[in-house]
Amino acid sequence: MSTTSPAPSDSSTPNNSNPKTTTASTLLPNDTFPFPREFFFPPFFTRQTNLTTHHAQLTKWSSLLLAYCRHHRLFRLSLNPDALPFHNPRINRRLAPGDIRRVVDFLRRDGRAEYVLPLGQTKKDGAMTTTARGGGGEAGEGGEAFIYWRTPEEWGSLIEGWVEETGQRGSVLTVYELREGEGTRGTEIWGMDGDVLVKALGTVVKRGKAQIFQSGEDSLGVKFF
Amino acid sequence: MSHRKNKAVGLAAFDRSRLTSAQYATHGSALRSSQASALETQLSVFRSLLQQFAATHAKDIKSNPTFRAQFARMCAAIGVDPLLASSGHGDSKGKGDSMWAQLLGRTVNDFYFELAVRVVEVCGETRGENGGLIEVGMVRERVVKGRVEGMGVQGVTEDDILRAVGTLKPLGSAYSVIKVGSKQYIRSVPKELNTDQSAVLEAAQVLGYVSVSMLMDNLRWTRARAQTALEDLVGEGMLWVDKQGIEWEYWSPGFMLEGDLPLDGFD
Repeated sequence: MSTTSPAPSDSSTPNNSNPKTTTASTLLPNDTFPFPREFFFPPFFTRQTNLTTHHAQLTKWSSLLLAYCRHHRLFRLSLNPDALPFHNPRINRRLAPGDIRRVVDFLRRDGRAEYVLPLGQTKKDGAMTTTARGGGGEAGEGGEAFIYWRTPEEWGSLIEGWVEETGQRGSVLTVYELREGEGTRGTEIWGMDGDVLVKALGTVVKRGKAQIFQSGEDSLGVKFF
Repeated sequence: MSHRKNKAVGLAAFDRSRLTSAQYATHGSALRSSQASALETQLSVFRSLLQQFAATHAKDIKSNPTFRAQFARMCAAIGVDPLLASSGHGDSKGKGDSMWAQLLGRTVNDFYFELAVRVVEVCGETRGENGGLIEVGMVRERVVKGRVEGMGVQGVTEDDILRAVGTLKPLGSAYSVIKVGSKQYIRSVPKELNTDQSAVLEAAQVLGYVSVSMLMDNLRWTRARAQTALEDLVGEGMLWVDKQGIEWEYWSPGFMLEGDLPLDGFD
């Protein structure tokens, strides 16, 4: 990686020598995530006025959020400007709520995020339709967003693969079982966010490869074909 | 004229001397041509030695950057630019293979070609964040990270990067190498920097960022002049603004890439 190539006459490679002692993660002791360099670049937290630059900025923020959530296996992210990863206490910079929203919207365009609807709105059954519910403006400041480091489609295929591997096609599984049962322990499915799981199953239903039904007062069942 | 001691006397002596001067003339030209051909032979011997050397050490030249740089220097010493088309200097459009290609069969030539392609890619990938102006060292770092196929683990030097950029020139490319302050940059957009802009970039390169008041204090510029230069550079995407400090700070995007933090957080 950072092999100091023996530059012939003049040492044209400046500071490649210091070992990996001061990585970002050690600078933010509360977080194991290896924050990228831009996270320590103050302008990264100010919306850039140049459109091209702004696009580059959004792209970087997007991959930061995806990587961050993947690292911590977060399915939903609090859009709190005073918390990681939107706030960098080391350089005392934070991303403004409006700019956070822009990043989430940028991810949404790629199908990589979705606002979490505030409580009270239809959740379980509403979640089965995977179409982005436009607007999302209701999820006020400090709301939450699903960050899809795996899209519901990708989760759906993963679950379908597991069902196939374990020879459970045709049998009825409950959502609870998938999330917390012994069967999925040790797989990526175990401990999934309930809403994301239901969305994921919804995509399989959409492909006609599964069916979801109410299997109790408050629990869903699924059957893969 | 002849400086010979003249033993001959009488009229015949004139003939004699005429004869000798004619002889000298022919001898001179014979000598000259033999010297020229000797030189030519020497050159061709040298060339073939160089060729032999290159053939024997093709692997080293390809994989060892120090060795490669030294070989290039050796070529330069005898006036051979291995990357120029063999048909001559200057504007000749490369119909022949370059020296590298001739000497090494295509491998080293390909090395620089591949490298040039990577350089173009890196410039393209980062253009959004730096407005098409990127430090050579930064390009190198990225290229090494992306590791060009067939290159040794030792990677490439800045020297190689610059040579690779040179190969793009015959294509009429917009790529050029410019110097800002102490550092060399590759410019991938055909945009000339005026002296004010260069001065700002140089200051930002040294200090990390600049502000209007910093420019006013250090360069003794008027507010308007500082503002204009900064806004121009922001407009070109060559500086990023941080508005969360006491005064707006304008940062060189190169600072985002420096240090030894991993760039690729997403795996």
